[in-house]
Formats: sequence, C-alpha cells, structure tokens
Amino acid sequence: MKALAIAATGVRRLFRDRQAAFFTFVFPLIMIVLIGIAFGDEDTARLGVVAVDSGQLGEELVSALEQTEGLEIRRFDNEDDWREAIERGEVEAGVLIPPGYDSQLHSGGQVDLPFLLRPDGLGDTLWLPVQATVEQQAELIRAALFAQSERGISFDDALAQATELRQNLPQVTVNFTIAGEPERALGRFDTGVAQQLLLFMFLTSLSASDHLILSRQLGVSRRMLSTPTAVRSIVFGETLGRFAVAMIQGLFIVLASIVLFGVDWGDPVAAGVIVVLFALVGTGAGMLLGTLLKTPQQAAAIGVFLGLGLAALGGCMVPLEVFPETMRKVAHITPHAWALDAFGMLLRRHGTLADIRPEMVLLAAYAALLLFAATWRFRRSIAG
Amino acid sequence: MLGNGIILECRDLRKTYGDRVAVNGVSFSIRRGETYGLLGPNGAGKTTTISMICGLLERDGGTVVVDGKPMSPSAVDAKAVIGYVPQDLAIYPDLSARENLRFFGQLYGLSGKTLSARVDEVLEVIGLADRANDRADSFSGGMKRRLNIGIGMLHSPRLLVLDEPTVGVDPQSRNAILDTVDTLGGQGIAVLYTTQYMEEAERLCDRVGIIDEGRLKAEGTRRELVALVGQRDRIALSAQGDLEATARAVSALDGVEQVNRHEGGLDLFVKDARRMLPQLLSTVANAGASVSAVEVVEPNLEAVFLHLTGKALRD
Ligand SMILES: Nc1ncnc2c1ncn2[C@@H]1O[C@H](COP(=O)(O)OP(=O)(O)OP(=O)(O)O)[C@@H](O)[C@H]1O
Ligand SMILES: [Mg+2]
Repeated sequence: MKALAIAATGVRRLFRDRQAAFFTFVFPLIMIVLIGIAFGDEDTARLGVVAVDSGQLGEELVSALEQTEGLEIRRFDNEDDWREAIERGEVEAGVLIPPGYDSQLHSGGQVDLPFLLRPDGLGDTLWLPVQATVEQQAELIRAALFAQSERGISFDDALAQATELRQNLPQVTVNFTIAGEPERALGRFDTGVAQQLLLFMFLTSLSASDHLILSRQLGVSRRMLSTPTAVRSIVFGETLGRFAVAMIQGLFIVLASIVLFGVDWGDPVAAGVIVVLFALVGTGAGMLLGTLLKTPQQAAAIGVFLGLGLAALGGCMVPLEVFPETMRKVAHITPHAWALDAFGMLLRRHGTLADIRPEMVLLAAYAALLLFAATWRFRRSIAG
Repeated sequence: MLGNGIILECRDLRKTYGDRVAVNGVSFSIRRGETYGLLGPNGAGKTTTISMICGLLERDGGTVVVDGKPMSPSAVDAKAVIGYVPQDLAIYPDLSARENLRFFGQLYGLSGKTLSARVDEVLEVIGLADRANDRADSFSGGMKRRLNIGIGMLHSPRLLVLDEPTVGVDPQSRNAILDTVDTLGGQGIAVLYTTQYMEEAERLCDRVGIIDEGRLKAEGTRRELVALVGQRDRIALSAQGDLEATARAVSALDGVEQVNRHEGGLDLFVKDARRMLPQLLSTVANAGASVSAVEVVEPNLEAVFLHLTGKALRD
C-alpha cells in the first residue's frame, strides 16, 4: 500500500535526523532524570495533620512532629480538607490522629494512625521520620502502661514519671501500629514522567511540522501527486507517518521509564489508550501547523513556543494541583491537562479505562477536530 | 486506448493566475515514441502547461487526454502513463539515491523484485550506481539533476515529461542528460521536453512547439519551422579545380537557389542540404572539381523564434 510507503519514509527520515532523534528519544529521558533528582533534593517536606478531639496525647504527638527535623507541619480541621490537600500536592503526606486517640491509649487500646501520601515520590520519604516520632511517643505510653499496671498508679502520673525515667524503662509490647497503607507507593519519578511524556510527545509532533513544509518546498509532495497515487493515500500516508513517530516516541518513553526508573503507569490498557489518543492529538496539531506556516524556521520556532507554552499551561511543568482554581479551569483548554488528569486517575486511584472515559472522549474530540482541519488543509495544499 | 498512435492530446489549455494569463489556448499532440520539444523563454508558460498535462494543476479550460485517458488531478490511471520530471529538484536530500528511487518506485506501483531490478537499472542509466547509497545532499548539482530525472523513468513510462532538465547543470552532466533522453527517445518512449535552449530542442526533438506568452506560436519539425521563416540551408564547399564550371553545374540542380564562388570553394544556399548532399557531391565531381571539405549550416530555431516573436530566446 502506497500510504505505508509514505509513512515508512516519514519515520525513516526522522531517524536519519540525528538532532531530531536526540530530542525525540534521549532528551526526554534526561529531563525525567533531572526532574526526579530535583524533587529528591527538596529538604523540607510538608506533612498535613488532623488532630481533632484527639486529646492531650494527640497534641503532644503533633508538637513532637513539629519538632522533627525536615518536617513542616500543616494542620487541618477535618479529614476532607486534609485529603484534598494531599491530593493537590499542597502537602506531600498526612497523618490523621483520630478523635479519642488520647482516651483509647489511656485504656490501653490499639490505635491506628492513617498515613496518607501523595503519589509523587516525596511522600514516602516522610514515612520514616513520622514513624520514628510516633514510635517515641509509643515508647513512653508503653512505659506508662507498664508502670500503671505494675505499681497501680494513675496513667497520667505514670506517664509523667515515665517521661522522666525513659532511659531505664523496660520494653513492653503494645500494639501501636501505624496503619493505613499509603494509597500508592510510588517512586520519585512517577508523576513527573507523565508530564514529561506529554510535553515531549506534543513538542515533537509540533516541531515535526517542518518536515511537511520542507516536503512542500522541495516539491516532493507535488511529485507524489504526479504519480498514480490517490490524494487520499498521500494525505493518509503523511498522517500515518507522523502518528507512527509520535507512538514510537511515546512507547519508548513509557518503556524506558519502566525499565530504567521502575515507573508504574497503572492500568496498561488505559495508559495505552491515553498515549494513542494523545499521539493523535499531537499528529493533528503538528500537521495543521505544517499547513498553516510557510517556512521550516517558522515551524521550528512556533512549534517550540507552542509546545512548551501549552505544556506549561496544561500542567506539565508545574502540577495542575497547585494552580489556583480559575487557572486550573483555563489549563483545561489544553489536551495536556485532560491527559494528565487521566494519568493521575490511573496513578493515584488505581483507575481503569472506565474511570477516565470523560477525559478520553475529550481527547478523542480534540484529535478528531485537529486531524480533520489538518488533512483538509493538507489536501488543499497539495492538490490545489 | 487510441488507435491513432497519439499518446498525448492537449486541446485549448488555459490557465490564469489572478489577471495574468499564464497559458492561453495551447493545443498540441504527441505521437507514440515521438520526442516533442516546447521551446520558449522564461515565463512563457511551459511549466504551467506541463503541470496541467500531468494533472498537478486544475485547468481553467481545455482538455488533456493521455493514452486515451482524460487527465485531471484525481486521474490515477492517466498518471500511470506519465513519468514526470519537475523543473526544480524534487528529491529527499536526507535519503540516499537508492532510497529516493525505491520510494517513488513504490508510488509508481512497483514492488518486490521488479522494484529492485528497475532501481538498479535506472541507477546504471543515470550513472549513479557507484553512489547509490550516498545521501542525495552529498551529490553535485548535476548528480542531483540526474537522480531527479531517474525517478521519472522508473516505471518505464510511455510518456516522459521533462521540464527544463538541464537548467543550471555543468556541461558534462548536461551532455549525459541529453544522451539519456536521446537514448530513451530511441527506445520508443514518447518525450515531452521543455527548454529555453534551441540547441537542445534541435538535437533531441522530432517536433518543436514554440511557446511565448502562453501561446503556441508555431509547431513542426525543425525544417518546417525554418521553412516558415523562409530561410535556407547553407553549404560551404572547399574545392579545387574548375570552379566556374562546377558553379554552373550545381546551379542547374533542383533545390539550389544561390551559388557564390570564391577563392578556394563555393557557398551554396539550398532548400534541404542534407537530402541533396550526395547528388551535389557527384555533380561537383563530374564537373571536374575535387572537394576537400563540406560544411552544412542549417538556419536555427533561434532565428525562427526571433522571426516569430521579435525577441531573443534568452537575453
Ligand atoms: N503560482 C503562480 N502564481 C502566479 N503566477 C504564476 C504562478 N505560476 C506561474 N505564474 C506565472 O505564469 C507565467 C508562466 O509561468 P511558467 O512557470 O509556466 O513559465 P515557464 O515557461 O515555465 O518559465 P521558466 O522557463 O522560467 O520556467 C509567468 O508569468 C509566471 O509568472
Ligand atoms: Mg518553468
């Protein structure tokens, strides 16, 4: 099929272009590594804490956490705000000290402290200091309980003494565990990588528009038309070639991130659908740009400007969660924002294809619109 | 398919860009195996005419029939007959010669062994066999031109359309190109060849159409065109012996219009130098003169063009 020959030539020419190949495949990985490292380097992490009606011991735990090195504590009045703040990345993780914490410990019961972390890699670095702080308090409580039961003095007195005498106290097994497994234990690269994937897929598609302009300038498109090849085959072949490049790049970044950085993309089918639809969006946008602009230089400049600009607006540089409400609405004029929402659903909520249906419908609509406009203009540009 | 041996028939082609009339009622036809030249200066409408013939440009008027099939931008079967070589290079600079040929070969419907065989043959013909795997952007101008032409011959078209294939080419490559076209013409492929160079048209073409300002001014064999202008061939004879008697004898020959005698020979103006040369030489010998050199000078298309348009082909 002639369209396949055209598509294959498009792909071959991309691989032949060393610079383009570097920016398509190697550069995104470098960025993923750099951003992963940058995140890892941040030294104070924010911990969201809810301690409502958790009594004296609850407050003591909060102040102990406040004194922990490298932790910044933000308090929330209710569980909903706390959970949303974690999801939006205002804090990296959170501990919920339940109501009745104090009284339950007095009575020697076991308390579960839910620990919730944001799936972007920073949260799990909080796990250890939080656990250590809680463990310190647990130690005192164990001691107090021991004193109470052995000597018959009140819990409060025992605790006060235990605090004084902590070094000398024996270990007692109190089932004081931190419960609430993190929603998703993710590495430091995990969400950053989705942002980079989208940024680079779109950027590459846009800057590949210069190939289309060059083919026109070179007269190659016209020459194709002089052969016994139907216009629709030429249009389809060029489109397919660009789509193939976007897919090869997308799959390469996804696979490399799995192999090199152990990134978890969640449900593979759903992730695949996002990548395919986003590749189609990029293909349409790139081809449309290629038919609208006159020179490859314009395409390169405007391609980079739009590619980076839309990515930034769409939340690929700074997470959408930290955008103010109105900006977040504005961000959703970009396909990036919808694709990121979808990836977020897969990464944080164990989402499947069914959960991201609205986002996928929107991306499909973007792709259809852009491809329609692009192929219509492209057809006119070659066939007059 | 037409039974009359016509491979290309254009009738009353018209194309206007804005208020500039680029092609204004051009009609001509090409027989199978014939090499037809469109000779005209810059902006005459050659490329525009060819674009309409090859289905690259929507016509404002007129018809094009190729091998019995009407041509239009969507006429795939009519396009299969033609091998089109554009005036400007249309090759991928970042692909090798072989890759360029294979790519367009596939678009011409070749595949598998046929494709590989044809690519090798064409590489041989255009003299790029030893550079087949080098990128086109490493080629000289002449080599690129040859590759550009090679693409048009891949599918052994019945009509090869070449739009000024020698523009900006060094003399060596130019000769190679002309030889190639000559050879193809000899193999029975019909050729439509546009040029601003009358020597090329004279050398290659069975018939020539003279085009200027979008109109076909005249058409015919070189001889017919020259006859149109009323010019005659000149034969310069270098001879010794009884030149006066010789001059009288040849003056009596049919077709000889004028004889000038001078030291060392005769200058004759005749209708058709090539045809009467044998007769002329035997007449000279019979008259007792010995010929040491003969030069035939035929009036050229340059003069015809000047006569028809009142201007030179190139300035
Ligand atoms: N796309 C176009 N838009 C506007 N005018 C055009 C266009 N193409 C050609 N023309 C005009 O049409 C006329 C014929 O152009 P054409 O290219 O057919 O000439 P040509 O004989 O091929 O000349 P050359 O020998 O320079 O290639 C010229 O006056 C040219 O300016
Ligand atoms: Mg031209």
